[in-house]
Amino acid sequence: MTKLQAKNIVKHFDHNGNSVVALDGITLNVEEGDFVCIVGPSGCGKSTFLNIIAGLEQPDSGEILLNGKPISETGPDRTMVFQEGALFPWLKVIDNVEFGLKMAGIPKDERREISRRYLDMMQLTKFADSYTYQLSTGMKQRVAIARALAMDPEILLMDEPFAALDSQTRDLLLVELQLIWERTKKTIIFVTHNISESVILGNKVEIFKNRPSKIKKEIIIDYRRPRLTEDANLQKYYHEILQELKSEVMARSKDDLK
Amino acid sequence: MNAKLLYKQILFYVGIIAVWQVIFLTHVVPSQALPSPLQVGQLLLKEAADGSLPYAIGVSMWRLVVGLIIAIVGGLTLGILMAKIETANQTIGSLILGLQSIPSVAWVPLALLWFGPTDAGTIFVVVAGALFAISINTHSGIKNIPPTYIAAGKNMGASGLQLITNVMIPAALPYLITGFKQGWAYAWRGVIAAEIIFSIAGLGFLLNLGKHNNDISQVTGILIIIMIIGILVDGFVFKKLEAKILARWGLLK
Repeated sequence: MTKLQAKNIVKHFDHNGNSVVALDGITLNVEEGDFVCIVGPSGCGKSTFLNIIAGLEQPDSGEILLNGKPISETGPDRTMVFQEGALFPWLKVIDNVEFGLKMAGIPKDERREISRRYLDMMQLTKFADSYTYQLSTGMKQRVAIARALAMDPEILLMDEPFAALDSQTRDLLLVELQLIWERTKKTIIFVTHNISESVILGNKVEIFKNRPSKIKKEIIIDYRRPRLTEDANLQKYYHEILQELKSEVMARSKDDLK
Repeated sequence: MNAKLLYKQILFYVGIIAVWQVIFLTHVVPSQALPSPLQVGQLLLKEAADGSLPYAIGVSMWRLVVGLIIAIVGGLTLGILMAKIETANQTIGSLILGLQSIPSVAWVPLALLWFGPTDAGTIFVVVAGALFAISINTHSGIKNIPPTYIAAGKNMGASGLQLITNVMIPAALPYLITGFKQGWAYAWRGVIAAEIIFSIAGLGFLLNLGKHNNDISQVTGILIIIMIIGILVDGFVFKKLEAKILARWGLLK
């Protein structure tokens, strides 16, 4: 079943008084339970696309359908894990996790039960009463994932959530995220500029073309899980994506030199 | 506060009192102009015992707190309005910048004409002194909220008033506390000034009474009390609050 459809999404940006096309007609179908990775050069508009799905930005034309219904605003059915976590420093870890539940008016006892479950899933139970400044960057991203999952969203949106992590922490979270995906059967859209992340995580990888950006190619990766960073069998996917992206980066620098 | 610093400060204040006592004993300054530390201490003890000093402190603090609460509610509202609506910032914002430059004591004549020598008059001076500093700091606090906090709040279903109370105000707290601190300082000056000029109760009134009765011990003693309250509120209430907020927001190195 199709969970989310993006239909011909167009977005312009104002750059020094000139209108620049950021997204030039993006069309994408995401099936229920898909793990879709969007990979592309920096500045290609992949985060903008994610923000449009989240409802944080509006497209100039085109529409997003969730379960067949058009959406225009932000909603807890599409929770986002931000690059820097965006946890609230004034709240304890557990209160961060249940923030959205509180906004939805869910009673305290029920909130605690749900948040405890996700804290446990992310191995954060010990840190329930900590404040975010007491956590490492990796821990913060775990909290951010728990916070997004606690809303039991239709789709989990992830905007380069592991970009700021050291490689050991990242490898660990890459495996954990696959396990969580298998356990919760969530539909996930994950944006990254890191090719190996996209290969490890995605069952579909969408390669974004440079500005004006379009989807250049979709690669299906049907391979056992959990996939590990060092798995040599993933190399061919890595190289396929790398080739596609290389030509993009070359075209971009040629443009810049003109 | 570490022990060494505490000893240093205690020694310093004991030193001041000693020098003061020496000056008094040598009659360099006439005793109508300078009481002895002992006279001041005795007077304050007497006034503490008969309840007149605690009453005066209570009255002044009550006026201050009521005024500050009004100024905080009003300042938050104005500041958020200015941050959200650019026209409000360009119009009301410019007026507030102007009004903020008026010293709190300058509001006293207006307070007297509008409210007479009443509690409301003193509270008006407190509000006028604190409101604008709080508005300005609220405005910059809201403007400086990292955009991802707002995005995250909206993403998890907060909107309208919910977003303001659950995300924007706490996110702006490091700025807001600066506003409250400034606001308190202006308000404290304002309440004492208003009491000196037109009130029949409070620390400012006791100060004025001392002047009327030519009682130098009273004037000196009340000045010391005003200073101590300032130190306590600044050093304990605000500094502690500020340190806690900065640490929690990850802003403290």
